[in-house]
Amino acid sequence: MTLDLDMMMMAIFLPLFGAIAAFILPRAAALVGLVTLALTTGAVIALGLEVRQSGAVVLPLGGWGAPLGIDLRADGLSVAMLALTSAVGFLVSIAALDALKGADQARERQYFWPLWLLLLTGINGVYLSTDIFNLYVMIEVIALAAVGLTVLSATRAAVQAGLEYMYASILGALLFLMGVGFIYLQIGRLDFTGLMGAEPTAALIAAVALMFVGLALKTALFPLHLWLPAAHANATAPASALLSGLVVKAALYIVLRLAQYMPFPSETLLTLVGLMGAGAVIWGGIQALRAERLKLLVAWSTVAQIGLIFVAFARAGEVGLTESWKAAALLILAHGIAKAAMFLAAGRIKDEIGHDVIRDLDRAPVRPTLAQFTFALAAISLIGLPPSLGFIGKWSLMEGALVAGYWHWVAVTMLGTLLSVAYFSRVLSAFLRFDRIRTPVAEHQGWALADAAPLTLALTAIGLGLMAAPILRFIEIGYPFGAAL
Amino acid sequence: MTDPLVIFDLLLALGIVALAIASLSVRDRFAMIVLFIVFGLFSALAWVRLSAPDVALAEAAIGTGVTGALLLKTLHHLRFVESRTAITEAACAPVPLGVLLANAAFCGLITLGLAVAFLGAPSAGPGFDALVAEAMPASGVDHPVTGVLLNFRAYDTLMEVVVLLAAVIAVWQIERGLSDAPAPAMGEVWQGFARLVLPAIVVIGTYLLWVGAEAPGGAFQGGAVLAAVGLLLLLTRAYVPRPEHRGIARGAFVLGTGTFALVALMVAGGGRVAFEYPLDHAKTLILLIEGMVTISIAVTLAALFHGREPVALPKGGRDDT
Repeated sequence: MTLDLDMMMMAIFLPLFGAIAAFILPRAAALVGLVTLALTTGAVIALGLEVRQSGAVVLPLGGWGAPLGIDLRADGLSVAMLALTSAVGFLVSIAALDALKGADQARERQYFWPLWLLLLTGINGVYLSTDIFNLYVMIEVIALAAVGLTVLSATRAAVQAGLEYMYASILGALLFLMGVGFIYLQIGRLDFTGLMGAEPTAALIAAVALMFVGLALKTALFPLHLWLPAAHANATAPASALLSGLVVKAALYIVLRLAQYMPFPSETLLTLVGLMGAGAVIWGGIQALRAERLKLLVAWSTVAQIGLIFVAFARAGEVGLTESWKAAALLILAHGIAKAAMFLAAGRIKDEIGHDVIRDLDRAPVRPTLAQFTFALAAISLIGLPPSLGFIGKWSLMEGALVAGYWHWVAVTMLGTLLSVAYFSRVLSAFLRFDRIRTPVAEHQGWALADAAPLTLALTAIGLGLMAAPILRFIEIGYPFGAAL
Repeated sequence: MTDPLVIFDLLLALGIVALAIASLSVRDRFAMIVLFIVFGLFSALAWVRLSAPDVALAEAAIGTGVTGALLLKTLHHLRFVESRTAITEAACAPVPLGVLLANAAFCGLITLGLAVAFLGAPSAGPGFDALVAEAMPASGVDHPVTGVLLNFRAYDTLMEVVVLLAAVIAVWQIERGLSDAPAPAMGEVWQGFARLVLPAIVVIGTYLLWVGAEAPGGAFQGGAVLAAVGLLLLLTRAYVPRPEHRGIARGAFVLGTGTFALVALMVAGGGRVAFEYPLDHAKTLILLIEGMVTISIAVTLAALFHGREPVALPKGGRDDT
């Protein structure tokens, strides 16, 4: 019994000790980082096996138990998110070895690892937490490490974007904290179990709304998305992949947990959330169509995809929430994997060609074929073509909306899909045109370690669609909350 | 019968709001920072009136002291940069009206939410008080705040220390080339002043840490006060950071986090889980953790004031700051 408990601690403490070691030993940082990632992934796998066998597991830290102490808890959804983080994190780490190997990148090589491992500590901490104040602390850890990663590339644009990101992030955390404070004031508890039985008074709804706005700011839900495109587009490629693939998911996950366990305010507010999501789908799509640079296009597509996840929340109204979170969770997983692959591929394309201006992509004498292929595969999952995981996510979104008779959410999803086909086509068509260049084209440039990682991710994003049924069964383990306690 | 303190509270509240407005509306940046520092001191007073002396100490030491020093240092740097380039305050473009209106609407909604949450809240709602009082004998310390921070919810506190570690790593990794601004340095009078107050600060900081077990105080407050030692050492040039010191500094940054996390893990086993200190050793372990965390906080805050990783300078260069 002690084994499974330790695995939860390991998932949080291994990256923490790894970060300390990588910071103290800058020259061995990459080695420390990879070993830590491997060990953490092992811990997550062990935890997953345990959860699959015996259901959700709980660890009362310090032996106090909630509400006085803090409980860690792993159920199917937690483990699925941890697995996403470990898998994407491990592959991005391998890609980072190659992306940061330049002679002038000694500083980036040295600092990428401690920041990334601290980020991993925070993200894993969020997925195992059952306490809203603890969640606040964890999103602070994530925020500072993520800002550090944003400015790692040290360009002026990146530093400016990082500063804006930090303001948005701190404001979001502050709003979340105020919500937490008011909830404590009213029900005197901070743990999820205490929240479940709470009476939904007007004051409680206001407190939850404050928390939601804070989280929306952190996950860049339209119209609070303004910081995201610049921050994600200007970071160095592995950092972009982590920020877009993993970091925004932590805040999304908290929204999902709150929706699972808090009495949801009202149908009107849920519709409002869906409308904000729809706004993101449309506005993000339009901006992605207008973007001049590849990485900026990918960043805007993140805004649109996050909007879609919120549409999934709202797809079947208040009564449908008990099922809707699963559609949202599938989309979160699909987006995490595919977007990390896409940012890495975009980074590779930029490295090989030397720029990422979309208009001139088809004039490059160099064709990083494998990276372009990876980009296309990731686009397939993000657009939602079968059999990708993105397809399953969108399918379950629309299925639920149809059953509930909410046709407008189906229309929004369709529109979002069309927009994503349009903006990804801008890039894909540039990959396919061979008539613009007169000199011999050097193909197969960039068969490197850095291509292996994004390609694996993109293939996973597509292949996992075939495993949707087991995944759905797995994330339901331990739900609803009270059942396993 | 009116309590005379009510009048004091009212004046304090008005003062805080007025200072907030003043520091936002004043144009001169130096005045803005000074007003902000005074605002911090008033807030600390307010925390005292709210019977939260621990928060008051933290607000005075970190929110006012260290933050004020950071702001003044930034101002010094900005003035230097502006004296060398053409950028002036007037160069900032005015904010478009639409953005202002959108922001105002957003702030209005937030205020509405706060108002509803506040007005609907019970005045003396349920809380952890009873639970904490019941569990205090098993915590190893006598001050409830320390019990919560270092024992019942030690996991949260560990992660707060991790936040500080992440902050200093993020600051160290920012590439900004060689600094142009000469180090802000104190004159001769201040050198003498520093000699007088340094020992006093060390005593006060250590006392705050030690007394945390029974009374308001503790690692964060003690560390912030001790950080003032670092600030004075940096300002008087008694200590100049050099690249050779980076290893020691890294060690000092991670000391608190590392010790805290190791203790949390090592106590597990034999039927105990992580963070579950054996009662006989609880006080010793908590003091050990607090001591190490205090050192890390003090060094980290001083390093944040310095603001960058010490880098090697070309020969004949200025002192690095």
